[in-house]
Amino acid sequence: MLKLEALEVSYGEKKILNGIDLELKDGESLAVIGESGAGKTTLALSLMRLVDGSVKGKILFNGLDLLSLPEEAINELRGNRIAWAPQNSNNTLNPVHTILNQVAESITEHKLKNRREAGKQASILLSSFGIPVNRFSAYPHQLSGGEQQRVLLAIASANQPELLILDEPISSLDAPARAEVIELLKHTNQDCSFIVTTHDISTAAKLADKVAILYAGRIVELGLSGEVLSRPRHPYTRGLIRCYPDMTTGKDLQGIKGVMDRSVNGCSFHPRCTQAIEICRKEIPPLRLIQGRHIACHRGGIIPLLSTKNLSKRFDSLLAVDAVKITIEGGETLALVGESGSGKTTLAKLIMGLIEPTEGEIYLEDSLVSNRGKDFYRQVQMIFQNPGESLSHRLSVLELVRESLDIQEIGARDERDRLVRQVLREVELPDSEAFLNEYPHHLSAGEMQRVTIARALVLEPRLLIADEPVAFLDSSLQAKILKLLLKLQEQRGLSLLFITHDIAVARKISDRIAVMKDGKIVEQGPATKIITSPGHAYTRKLSQAALDLSLED
Amino acid sequence: MRNVITYVIAFLFILTLNFLLPRMLPGDPLMAIYGNEALIAMTPELKAHLVERFALDQPLWQQFGAYLLALVQGDLGHSYYYNSPVSSIVLGRLPWTLLLVGTALIISTLSGIVLGIESGWRRGSRRDKSLLTSLMAVSGFPDFFLGILLLIGFSVTWKIFPLSGAITPYSGLSGAALVLDVLHHLFLPATALTLSYIGASYLLTRNTMVTVLKNPYILMAKAKGLPDRVVRYQHAGRNALLPVITQTGIQLGRMVTGALFVEIVFAYPGLGYLTYEALLARDYPVLQGVLLIVAVSVLIANFLVDLSYSKLDPRIRYAH
Amino acid sequence: MHINPKQEIRHSKFAMFGIGMLLFLLIIAIFGPLLTPYQPNSQTPFAFESPSFNHWLGTNHVGQDILSQLIYGARTSLLVGFLTALLATILSAIIGTSTALAGGLYDKIVMRIVDAFIVIPAIIVIILVAAYLKPNLLVLILLLALLGWQGGARTIRAQALSLKEMGHISAARSFGASNLYIIFRHILPDLVPILLMGFIYGVRRAVFMEAGLAFLGIADPTTVSWGMMMHEALDFCYLNVWRWWLIPPGVALSLTILSVTGIGHTLEGALDPRLRREANA
Repeated sequence: MLKLEALEVSYGEKKILNGIDLELKDGESLAVIGESGAGKTTLALSLMRLVDGSVKGKILFNGLDLLSLPEEAINELRGNRIAWAPQNSNNTLNPVHTILNQVAESITEHKLKNRREAGKQASILLSSFGIPVNRFSAYPHQLSGGEQQRVLLAIASANQPELLILDEPISSLDAPARAEVIELLKHTNQDCSFIVTTHDISTAAKLADKVAILYAGRIVELGLSGEVLSRPRHPYTRGLIRCYPDMTTGKDLQGIKGVMDRSVNGCSFHPRCTQAIEICRKEIPPLRLIQGRHIACHRGGIIPLLSTKNLSKRFDSLLAVDAVKITIEGGETLALVGESGSGKTTLAKLIMGLIEPTEGEIYLEDSLVSNRGKDFYRQVQMIFQNPGESLSHRLSVLELVRESLDIQEIGARDERDRLVRQVLREVELPDSEAFLNEYPHHLSAGEMQRVTIARALVLEPRLLIADEPVAFLDSSLQAKILKLLLKLQEQRGLSLLFITHDIAVARKISDRIAVMKDGKIVEQGPATKIITSPGHAYTRKLSQAALDLSLED
Repeated sequence: MRNVITYVIAFLFILTLNFLLPRMLPGDPLMAIYGNEALIAMTPELKAHLVERFALDQPLWQQFGAYLLALVQGDLGHSYYYNSPVSSIVLGRLPWTLLLVGTALIISTLSGIVLGIESGWRRGSRRDKSLLTSLMAVSGFPDFFLGILLLIGFSVTWKIFPLSGAITPYSGLSGAALVLDVLHHLFLPATALTLSYIGASYLLTRNTMVTVLKNPYILMAKAKGLPDRVVRYQHAGRNALLPVITQTGIQLGRMVTGALFVEIVFAYPGLGYLTYEALLARDYPVLQGVLLIVAVSVLIANFLVDLSYSKLDPRIRYAH
Repeated sequence: MHINPKQEIRHSKFAMFGIGMLLFLLIIAIFGPLLTPYQPNSQTPFAFESPSFNHWLGTNHVGQDILSQLIYGARTSLLVGFLTALLATILSAIIGTSTALAGGLYDKIVMRIVDAFIVIPAIIVIILVAAYLKPNLLVLILLLALLGWQGGARTIRAQALSLKEMGHISAARSFGASNLYIIFRHILPDLVPILLMGFIYGVRRAVFMEAGLAFLGIADPTTVSWGMMMHEALDFCYLNVWRWWLIPPGVALSLTILSVTGIGHTLEGALDPRLRREANA
């Protein structure tokens, strides 16, 4: 019923929407998600032909090209066949007219010329949206924000439109009211197609069949809501979901580095993208169908950084790692959870090539890892369980951190020293001469762990394997180190394989969780899902055993 | 919102000024209160009567009491120049001023609002720019000079309109002919006054429109598919009206004083021309009476506008 | 809110015209005595003369040179305009900022009085006072200033109130700054554009009122002013003399007011961000 072709909207030199292609079928609902400034409202308004800027491309509504219709014809459609409900803010409703009149006005304009009849219909509509009868002749300022929002929705529903555009429709409602209003909207406008713009992911998930992720005026990902939101494939979508507080995951809120900038060449997300390559800086990626999902990314979405296939390790009679198949994607945290002895550390050592696998393969970005050269270790680094053990007591902090650079023969001597200082600051350690000359036994446990992180990071690896990095630390230090790791991930797009026995820690830090028992991965999936509805009995057991601060009798 | 107390203070100030000015001047207060003309006709009995009536031999506060008492009784004093009570002179002239001010106020406000709405709706268009420039230019002219220009053009040179007065004297006209005669005399002064005040309501409406049009409810109205005209007047214009109404109150004071000047130019027999005559003749009772009446009417008008404002804006109506 | 009044004015033709015009008038007013061949008040036996080489704009009913009067009229108008506006602006700045900062009873009482004066028609009070006092120019200026600061004080108070809540003022307070320091260091500089606008409209008002009073014939008869010239000329408007006697002072007065309006309007537009030209996307 609705088809957008290469829709472009610009204000002067500034392009707000840049080549939007979309299709909506009868009765379908689409959520357009994006941060503020992405162009959501412009998109919504351009469907009403109410943007001030210049509009190019095509908007086909049931075969009618909205952009070429004369003004009277488009007025005929507005508020009638296509309706728009904006977010309630100050003065969205006209302060000098009663709410009943504002609803009825829409009806008299299009359907019923009889004012009394229209008034009657408007009253019915208002009551169905939960406005008490004695408020009908009230003025907008006498209503609460929630009531005003309901009036706006009633106005939009007044003529049973075929297409309803909801622009941040329910952000101003509190949570219980939201659910109710969503029900009402669906009920009042059966057979109606919806377009919902929102920055609120849960609204999108509840209201819409499909979601389109908008970034800097372009759609970067498009697919079924459930799939996109549980398994985002564009780096931006994942970033957006990470920014979103919800009740089920516990992962600390992470931002996306940088800010939106429309003026960049190539893919507009590349300055903030952690997997950008040369082409991303030059060419704009088209929205393509890649494995059942529309994605606009030169790299085909989030790339799998490292994967193992059928990886096994046998120590005599013990099968420590049993046909493990995991994938770590670029920029994500995969938590590997299991009891001690479940084979987690062995798996990590296999990946690092510290022990040879009995069977199976490891792929780094699609290429089989056979013999690991310096190149591999520049990309994959590991921090060990016990920082005290992994730091040589003979070397000073400077020498410890520089060691990896020395080994990799990166830069000249003073370049290396500069990098060391820089990375120390990054892990929130002092870079003073005095500290550089300290020896490990003078350092606290937290400082030691930071030094190990620093020396792994100084090579700028893409994957960091962290084997119980906080197990030896007291809880306040634990929190600091976890935060540090998340910050580094946000800044550098680091992928993390985080090995822990504590599912509570995993929940705090991971996008996905893999549960390991007796050398096997018994369950893996999005952290939300593993935490809220664990599929395997063992996962449930781990969850119950996790540290619980609530006091019980 | 100004409240009643504000108006009481203003009223008291005007009364006090009216009372004090003649009495604080050096010389004979009787002369200052009653003017030159009175002294010529003054007999000792009359003088004694006046001194007693105004308690001029009493302390100041008792004089004030006597002054207030006389006012309450509707006694604005006696003009010896016209040899009649001031109140009746003022009442005789008042209708002409009301006619002039009323006509000009209604026309200038209404057309100012309509032009302002049209101009603000398409701000930056050629029509807007030419309207803005011409109305700004017109409002740069002092009202009395506008009057003079009209007078010289239409009355002196082309002789289309009468030179002075509000009706043709001794013509014995009645009915429709009288009405036409009155309108004929009214036309130029009312035009002068309208032209000099249209700019203010136009500019304010236009500027308010600019703000109002940025409000989301305008977008909402357009999204309902309402015709342009309805959006412009029902939704935008209606909201732009509020500040214009308040300003009309403030304008009223300026308008009345503007009428004083215009009346003088056209020798139009309203309160303004009366003031002028009184100034020339040093007829202080009339001067005081007229100015008191004008000041108080302006106060009352302002007060009424304040009241009506709260009727027009539902947000204020329910704020109390 | 950072406003550069200079730039706004430079971009507006209307304002540039206003400034040019005012400068021209100022020069005429300052160098008037050098330019005029006659003393404006000196009477000659030649009344009602038409324009000639000796009298470019002819003479009036008592044989005074009209051009000389016109030039001296500029002095009166501008002197009254600028001095009145200056006094009124200073008064409104003091009252506006002090009430905003002090608050409390002082603010309440002063604002009551201010409101009362705003609703009183000033020109009527001035006519009344002038009719009795027959003020000379200086008294007239004082009178106009005393009745002309109230509206400005209200605007300035409102602006100062919002400024007072701003971060940098709170910061200064947290360093222990005194009210005086805050007024002079922070509030007044931020108020400059508004004060400037108040000043401009004050000039307009004062020029207008002076002319009006003189037109009514209640100004000091020894001071030559455009209003007075029109007052005198109006009595003879049935003669041809209006062409060089009545019109020139009227045009001069209108141009003065128009140029001040131009500057004021531009400043007002600059001050109100909503009226600015940039289209907000």
